[in-house]
Amino acid sequence: MSENITRRNALKNLAGMVGGLLAMPGGRACKAAVQNGLASSHAPAGYDPFQHKWLMALDVDRCIGCGLCVEACCAENAVPEGHWRTWIERYVITKPKAGSGETRGETMVDSPDAGKEGFPPLLVPREDILKSFFVPKLCNLCEKSPCTQVCPVGATFEAPDGAVLVDKNYCIGCGFCVQACPYGCRFFNPETHTADKCSLCYHRITRGLKPACVEACPSEARIFGDLKNPVPDDPLQRFIASNKVEELKKFLGTGPRVLYAGLDEEVR
Amino acid sequence: MPPLLKMPPQLIRLVLLAIGIVCVYLTARYFLTPPSFGQYGHFRGNALQEIAARQPYYAGKAACVECHSDHAQKLAKGEHKTLSCETCHGPGRTHVENTAEKLPKLNVGLCVRCHQASPSRPKWLHQINVHNHYTGSVCTECHVPHQPNEVPP
Repeated sequence: MSENITRRNALKNLAGMVGGLLAMPGGRACKAAVQNGLASSHAPAGYDPFQHKWLMALDVDRCIGCGLCVEACCAENAVPEGHWRTWIERYVITKPKAGSGETRGETMVDSPDAGKEGFPPLLVPREDILKSFFVPKLCNLCEKSPCTQVCPVGATFEAPDGAVLVDKNYCIGCGFCVQACPYGCRFFNPETHTADKCSLCYHRITRGLKPACVEACPSEARIFGDLKNPVPDDPLQRFIASNKVEELKKFLGTGPRVLYAGLDEEVR
Repeated sequence: MPPLLKMPPQLIRLVLLAIGIVCVYLTARYFLTPPSFGQYGHFRGNALQEIAARQPYYAGKAACVECHSDHAQKLAKGEHKTLSCETCHGPGRTHVENTAEKLPKLNVGLCVRCHQASPSRPKWLHQINVHNHYTGSVCTECHVPHQPNEVPP
């Protein structure tokens, strides 16, 4: 090889090395320019998602079906007309027909406008009702969420603090997640043309506020708390300790972080 | 001659093509992966801050109590102690930021929204039938919303 060291070759090698050294910062600058064009970044809010683990508990016996939570959610998050991030279902279970040999009759569920304006009077006469109650629903904040598993672009994810969120800048609006959610908690937002869902009021909980639905609930039917930072005499821990809490559709193994107390067997 | 170069030329071309594809993929990934990707998990970390950047609309009870502690103390004694201020008075961040901007007056429909009798409502809740409970017009003639047990003077 020694006979190959000519002036020409030495200069060529030197130029290559200098070019390579120049290309490295150039490449970094190009990368930064491309990425800044793709996504605008915001200053960090001083909130560490690893230091929190949020959980929501719902007390069916406390829900009075006023719909103030739905109204607050829509106002807080500017949810487009006709779509809901949370809603209230009214269950009516009738008495069994005489001689039918059943323990209960028909089950009817309604949720007019998600219960935002309250509920109209029942059409079933009072003496025919075996049981009637309200069930508030929202995103179940699954730990193994089917909706994030089907996203082809990784635009929806489970944050380390338990919130399941949608990255609107990367969502392509294919709607796979809307179909994948077994609880029907997602919808297609016609204004942003992306998937939309309960964000657990992420802009509120990162500021130390409660989600809007919890704030607006008059009867403490919605209990919200942080498992990693319990407050003295924590309402959430007290609630979980003193009630038999259940998950919706437990057989699916989605691991919801939304727990219910006082659920009837008919609720799904 | 090294044994690699003894391969048939069509195979060499295939290998070069494969290397080229991998190089293009690595370059594209280098430029297209968002800078904050992987900060908190398998997603773009800045998305968390972008979602959190939204401004709250409801101020929260703590913000109300800062100025209206007298009302809050009264509320804590009565049956309406579980209510947040904004449950009835509505979203109040605009009022917290600018106290000159008052919250709207409340109307009678608000009491009925929770207290209208319904077989679906739990038994512990005080329920009335609006049509035969009282023939007057305003609930506050007989009830104090901040202290439901009290009778107004």
